[in-house]
Amino acid sequence: MKTKQSFLSRYKGILIFFAVMLLLPFVIGLFEGSNPLEVWNNQGRFSKYLEGIGIEIFILAIFALSYDLLFGITGLMSFGHTMFFAVAAYATGISLKTLGLPLWQVLLIIVGTSIVQALLFSIVLPRVKGVTFTMVTLGLASMFHIIVMSSDMIKLTGADVGLQGVPKPAFIDPSIERLRFYVVALLILVLVYIFYRRFIDSPTGRVSIAIRENESRAKMLGYNTTAFKVVVMLIASFTASIAGVLHTLYQPIVSPTIADLGYTVTGLLIVLIGGIATLSGSIVGAFVIKILDLGLRGIMKDSAPLVTGIVYVVFVLFVPYGIVGSLKLGGLRIKEGWQMLIERFGLKKLCEKKK
Amino acid sequence: MKKKLNLTGILLIAAFVVFLVLAGRGMPPRDLLITTLRGFSVGSVTFLVAAGFSLIFGLLDVLNLAQGTLYMIGAYVGWTVFVRPDTFVDVTPIILFLMAGFALNFLWDYLADKIKLDPQKKKILGWSMVVVAVALAAFILPRYPIAMWQLNNYAQSPISFSYMADQGIRLPVAPAQAKGIPPMLALYGGLAISALLAFGLALIRYKENRQHSLHWKKWQVFVILLLLGTLIMAFNTPLSNWLMDMNTNWLFIIAIVVSVLSVVGLGALMEKTMIQPLYSRPVYQLMLTLGLGTIGMQLVKAIWGMPEFVLPKPEFFRGAGAACPATSIKDIFTHNCSTIMILGGRVRVYDEIVLPIIGITVLILVWLLLKKTRIGMIIRAGVQDSNMVEALGINVRRVFTFVFALGAGLAALGGVLSAPSNGLSVAMGEKLLLNALIALAIGGLTSYPGAALGSLMVGLIQQFMIKYGQIGIPIPFTDIIFKPTPAIIPASTMLLMVIVLLILPNGLLGRQD
Repeated sequence: MKTKQSFLSRYKGILIFFAVMLLLPFVIGLFEGSNPLEVWNNQGRFSKYLEGIGIEIFILAIFALSYDLLFGITGLMSFGHTMFFAVAAYATGISLKTLGLPLWQVLLIIVGTSIVQALLFSIVLPRVKGVTFTMVTLGLASMFHIIVMSSDMIKLTGADVGLQGVPKPAFIDPSIERLRFYVVALLILVLVYIFYRRFIDSPTGRVSIAIRENESRAKMLGYNTTAFKVVVMLIASFTASIAGVLHTLYQPIVSPTIADLGYTVTGLLIVLIGGIATLSGSIVGAFVIKILDLGLRGIMKDSAPLVTGIVYVVFVLFVPYGIVGSLKLGGLRIKEGWQMLIERFGLKKLCEKKK
Repeated sequence: MKKKLNLTGILLIAAFVVFLVLAGRGMPPRDLLITTLRGFSVGSVTFLVAAGFSLIFGLLDVLNLAQGTLYMIGAYVGWTVFVRPDTFVDVTPIILFLMAGFALNFLWDYLADKIKLDPQKKKILGWSMVVVAVALAAFILPRYPIAMWQLNNYAQSPISFSYMADQGIRLPVAPAQAKGIPPMLALYGGLAISALLAFGLALIRYKENRQHSLHWKKWQVFVILLLLGTLIMAFNTPLSNWLMDMNTNWLFIIAIVVSVLSVVGLGALMEKTMIQPLYSRPVYQLMLTLGLGTIGMQLVKAIWGMPEFVLPKPEFFRGAGAACPATSIKDIFTHNCSTIMILGGRVRVYDEIVLPIIGITVLILVWLLLKKTRIGMIIRAGVQDSNMVEALGINVRRVFTFVFALGAGLAALGGVLSAPSNGLSVAMGEKLLLNALIALAIGGLTSYPGAALGSLMVGLIQQFMIKYGQIGIPIPFTDIIFKPTPAIIPASTMLLMVIVLLILPNGLLGRQD
């Protein structure tokens, strides 16, 4: 009983998030005039559309979480992170479409590919550090992107058009059973989040943070830092692969842009806007990015990426800790922050005079 | 910069050469020559971007991922000067005037000192000035007359202008129309904007105890900018007509100079305003340059449009006629032949001879700058240990700005030079950035000769792979003929990079520590 209570209080935030997101389609359904039973049977219109957006956000958030673990927590700046995501997405698509395997076998394959990729990246790990690691991972991921895009593979991957017509398993087909898909994606996100929280609080997670802060010191204390990095890489790879599977199952077309550097940058953007190394920031960031993207596409049409880019640069320059990070800091030092603002903008005397 | 090439590096290079030689056996000598020259050509453009990149990374520790975008902006600015000189003439004065206000920074600092107000109020005054300046800019800048191409009208789109200029015909352009306010007023409004902005910023950053002097020499830049801007504005039409009718060789040179200078300015501005505040947070610098690169790409897309077009070659490289292709170097000068016969194969003069020559020239010039000048000495020392250089009383920050601007300028030079052969597209920057990154990773990130070697290797491998895609590689000691598809070409350079980095994490010529 005691442990359960502590579990509840410990993961209060994410559990509230879970409950709210679970109820949201029904509440929206009520607003648009369809009763909960209709929503349950996937007959609502706007609520179904919203569920679709929700699923995309959850997939992005899972991807961003894995990037946050790798880059934010452990400090490994990989520019090839999307490779995990894309390989899983394509592997799922190909094994469902070309090989016609059932879903559980596909999942086994995904476990295999994610481990192989993590090991591939891990071969690189002990040899190259810092910027070189970034570039090697970029090189590996770009090679995969090129292979996917190449005309030799057009039968398997669809080259630059994308992988189309992947048969979706009936019990989780997003066009029919969307609510179920929504709940599954949400559940996976919440489980991944809770697992990550636990991981950070575990001794292994603590060492990962120590590696980010000062690797040589962690080494000096007797930790085999490479082994810890490999563990982190395995976890991140597996999580990103799960996001990739969900992506293929949800999207009608698996476009090769997901293997692009741009997709890694999207993950980076989400982590940065939410707050680096905060975990919950990834979820917040995914919401912000998706909603910003949808809103801007409505208003600005083609120049939406320009605004996203400007938002990104503004965040880098002025909100380096992201939304969640700044809120956490703000809770501690909101007064100091205001005083700094007053001093910097020369409002101090005015405030004093008013008093 | 003197570094011993270790044994592994030598073995790697030797393996590379042996591979090329073995694979090149089945090729006739003229194909071999042309492919090698093309490799040199691609290599020298890559080098121009990579050299700047490596200098910036070496000294500033900034991985400037916006380098590809700077390369692209250089190409587009060059195109504008070459194909639409009238637009260039229209835009120049307002930019000069917007700079003029900041050229008076010494005066603003002096005035900020003289104004009798307490510091807090000065700051408020400064901020209100900035706000007024922004409002004024929002009012004036859209009303400043600029004659430009139109993206949604095909007859007036950049593609049409390029095509016609390539045919040697200039499409008639309508001069810019005044929009509501007289052009001269709009121009001086630009001066007012920049003056307000600069004064406001001077008030905001004001600190006491500064030495001020209003020596006449300090006014020079301001007066020159003002005079130049006013003159260009006053003689707008004759000037643009003169540029339009000018010999395209000279116009091409002007285009190169203008694009390099403008991107140098852009780079300096970027470094001063955005990179410098982030020196304590290196990862953020990387992310910032990535973001700036994206913004630049989107801006280029918004101004010049998505479709690709080509910068026409200047007259000197366009000659075709009875005497062409040229058989000797003299023919190139007398008939301006676009191609020359070497070993029975046609070699394009601009793409395959001039570009490598320029690449090698720049290589030597920058090497001389690094080796023989005082600033080069500071740069080399800074690459080793910039804190120590600062401790010796040298203003490293200023050198940082110089190097960043130099790197940006080199990228722009590469962009404008490659525009006639490779064309302009929104994706050109990204593509080249990837090439340059691979080249640097192969050669060693902070090593200047490494940048040259890596670029050359990348260029050669790419071009040989393209050639083998046509004729097939006879794999040594077997009868199998392997034909790489076009998709594998970029993968081959990536593979080379991964192999080199796995064996030598710091590249072929990098510091091995």
